[in-house]
Amino acid sequence: MNPFHDYYGIPWYAILGLWSLIAVGSHIYQVGFIVKLIRLGKNDDRFNSWKQRSKEFLTDWLGQRKVVQDKLAGYAHALIFWGFLMLVSDVIDLGTGGLLAKFLEKIYLANIWNLIVDLGYTMAGVGILISLYRRLIVRPEKLKGTSMEGILILFAILGIVLTAFIVEAGYMIGENVHYNNWEPIGVLFAKQMESINTESLGTIIDASYWIHMILIGLFLIEIPQTKHSHLIGTIPNVMFQDHEPMGTMLPMQTDDNNIAVKTDDLDFDNLTLGVNKFTDFTWRQLSDGWACTACARCQDVCPAYNSGKTLNPMQIIMDIKNYGKEHGTSLLSGNVPEEDIVQRFTPDAIWACTTCYACVEACPVHIEHVPKLTDARRHLVMEASEFPEELQNLFNNLERNSNPWGLGAHTRAHWAEGLDIKIGEPAEYLFYVGCAGSFDDRNKKVSIATAKLLKEAGVDFTILGEMEACNGDPARRAGNEFLFQMMAEMNVETMNSLGTLKVITACPHCFHTIGKEYEKYGGKYEVYHHSQILNDLRQKEKLIFKDFEDKVTFHDPCYLGRIGGETEAPRGALGNDIIEMERHGTNSFCCGGGGAQIWMEEDADKRVNEIRAREASKTGADTVAVGCPFCMTMMSDGLKSIGDGKSVKDISEILLENLEVKT
Amino acid sequence: MNIAVLIKMVPDTESRLEIVDGKVKEDAFKYMVNPYDEFAVEQAVQFKESVGGKVTLVCLFSDNPGIDTDLRKMMAIGADEAVVLRQEGYRGDKPSTNSKILAEAIKELNADLVIGGVQGIDYYQGATGPMVAHHLNIPHISGVTKLELNGEKITAKRQIEGGLQIIESTLPVLVTAQKDMTKVRFPALKDIMMSKRKSFENRSVSASEENDVETIECSLPPARDGGLIIDGESPEEKVDKLLEKLKMEAKVL
Repeated sequence: MNPFHDYYGIPWYAILGLWSLIAVGSHIYQVGFIVKLIRLGKNDDRFNSWKQRSKEFLTDWLGQRKVVQDKLAGYAHALIFWGFLMLVSDVIDLGTGGLLAKFLEKIYLANIWNLIVDLGYTMAGVGILISLYRRLIVRPEKLKGTSMEGILILFAILGIVLTAFIVEAGYMIGENVHYNNWEPIGVLFAKQMESINTESLGTIIDASYWIHMILIGLFLIEIPQTKHSHLIGTIPNVMFQDHEPMGTMLPMQTDDNNIAVKTDDLDFDNLTLGVNKFTDFTWRQLSDGWACTACARCQDVCPAYNSGKTLNPMQIIMDIKNYGKEHGTSLLSGNVPEEDIVQRFTPDAIWACTTCYACVEACPVHIEHVPKLTDARRHLVMEASEFPEELQNLFNNLERNSNPWGLGAHTRAHWAEGLDIKIGEPAEYLFYVGCAGSFDDRNKKVSIATAKLLKEAGVDFTILGEMEACNGDPARRAGNEFLFQMMAEMNVETMNSLGTLKVITACPHCFHTIGKEYEKYGGKYEVYHHSQILNDLRQKEKLIFKDFEDKVTFHDPCYLGRIGGETEAPRGALGNDIIEMERHGTNSFCCGGGGAQIWMEEDADKRVNEIRAREASKTGADTVAVGCPFCMTMMSDGLKSIGDGKSVKDISEILLENLEVKT
Repeated sequence: MNIAVLIKMVPDTESRLEIVDGKVKEDAFKYMVNPYDEFAVEQAVQFKESVGGKVTLVCLFSDNPGIDTDLRKMMAIGADEAVVLRQEGYRGDKPSTNSKILAEAIKELNADLVIGGVQGIDYYQGATGPMVAHHLNIPHISGVTKLELNGEKITAKRQIEGGLQIIESTLPVLVTAQKDMTKVRFPALKDIMMSKRKSFENRSVSASEENDVETIECSLPPARDGGLIIDGESPEEKVDKLLEKLKMEAKVL
């Protein structure tokens, strides 16, 4: 029994044809509108490395690699996704009155196809039930207050699945019964429906067919308008994911070889600094808006959001899409809407980001949240000159004395006095001390410990002394790209003239910037975090350590672990005998100091470092090991303010304390 | 309205300070615009923005070339032109000589208002401003915390010990700015870049033979002893130890 007959004298295909025209037409029109909006964005050439991109697409999109990291929601989604991929061809079959099946029969593929489709509907059905269970019964905190859209759509696609089974079963029963065992779930439905009288059965099957087709049509119309735009939006998003190392930023202007144009040669007459208009974003930044599924994983891991600040990374992505939707017609006719991007994001949100990249790491579809905020900061600092007052001091200090505190540049190497360290002489390694290690009393001790260990192991190294300057990261993450570039150019010149290309640093921000960003400014160096060198020296037994008396936990710095990709060396250096915090490694939670936050005021009731300090406190360790001068400050302060007396020590300090003295 | 702003280049407060033979060694200094003068620039630009006119910076300095970046920032705030008087052997501690040279240059500008910082943060003499007014033969108001312009008149507020003084003067007048006269803006990068296109004149002036005061000797303050942190299990124990030390060692109790 099938639904392919006339209805009130009108052939079924005429009715379906009209409905398809409306639904598909609306879908194509809306998607076209979105594509045009995204194409307003600036150029970002990601049309390369196709082999790698195809592989990533297969694992991340088809394989749902990051989606399933959230077990319940992830596997439910994967089931629905894989299910729909398997069943989607059934729409063509049902839409053509079974022509596809007939064709497949001719090439002997009908049975296997029937099985795949049947399995597809089943998987989708199971996925939907799990999702409904999660939304209606588990109800995770982050779903509270969200719209009914998710639930409605789940019921709608559940309807699509159930009606498909009914229509499928209808084929098997009626005048002559023949169970198709290649459609096992269809058979189950058929057996349930057998006893129904023919007339009612006909009505049920017809109704199911039309409900099925109406729901699919409505779904097509709905997709571009809501978060279900991710069905399409994730395709370019995953395909054209960022191939630059995480955390790297784009220079203000680049030449044909992707090298930064020197500050002296920048064409300021034709240069837009940062982003404040929709069209200032690159197309790939814009496409993020329609790839977002509002899964809120970015929100869950965001230190700003979790400490009660205005910023919610998911909202930033929604803002892009909503802004595009609301001002779309105006934007497409070349107008600039009165409301700008900074207003939409709000300055408070823009300045709350610690640039820890936890959101980017958590996103299953490669949305790039952080660059949107740092680009907005560039606009606020360099074009609008509207930014938190504290940053003015930071910029002036960096400009005048090459360090964030504005302490005399000539006192930079005072910490090294009496340690017999080479200054500005050729050596195998350059120890790039960084500002905190040079000027901050607490962190000077880290520099001393590191230097002592290196000397003990016989490593040949030099420091730059007064020639050293801040790597520029604080200025850059605070939006002052020009100042960053001036510092980068100056440092590259200094380092190249010294000729030492292997660098050791105890600061993950120096580690990231010198190692991964300076190449665009003319400096290619092999940069090691001190934990990598110390781990190596320990493994090679050039340094021997006693077993630690204290129980130690390790707080991964964002720019070393998640962004730097190094989570093993610090643990290896510490002897792999540490108590882990719940969130560690690439899932570590920011100390709150990154993104120039350490130089800005933070509301006393919204402190990120207290959240992290509580996590450290829970481990019961005696000592919190850190590998970053800013984590040192933030964790020490955080523990103090929650009244925990744990000591915070750098890896090098712990190692020096436990160094086995040679006999 | 023509406004002249007096600019002094002073050593960065964090510069290496060395004294050799009783004299400050100046060649190791990094220079910056005297912070009090920045208030003067900002105020001048605000007046220009409300009534129109021109703001010209006038700076007397040695032939040390490294000040363009800093002066350009002042231009980026909104000053229109800069005249830098380059003098071999310039010294910041000679207000009598310096004010005369500055006054000569300002005369040419026909300024309705001359404005500068209340003092330089190098020698804190606070004398150049009033002396320039004297050479220009115009009145002066020093250490102003708030300045308002009403047509041809200027009203200045001065914070004085235990009170507020309000002074009114006709133009032209010379005013020196106290801290917090106004809030200095942070120029946008584009303004800094565009300021490269503004007129920036370097003019040499001869070394002065005038009689002036002479600095006999400078010395650094004596080095401070390090502090002492008292260890103890409880606050009570720490307080006891502190009292002990105050009694026995410091002998203040």
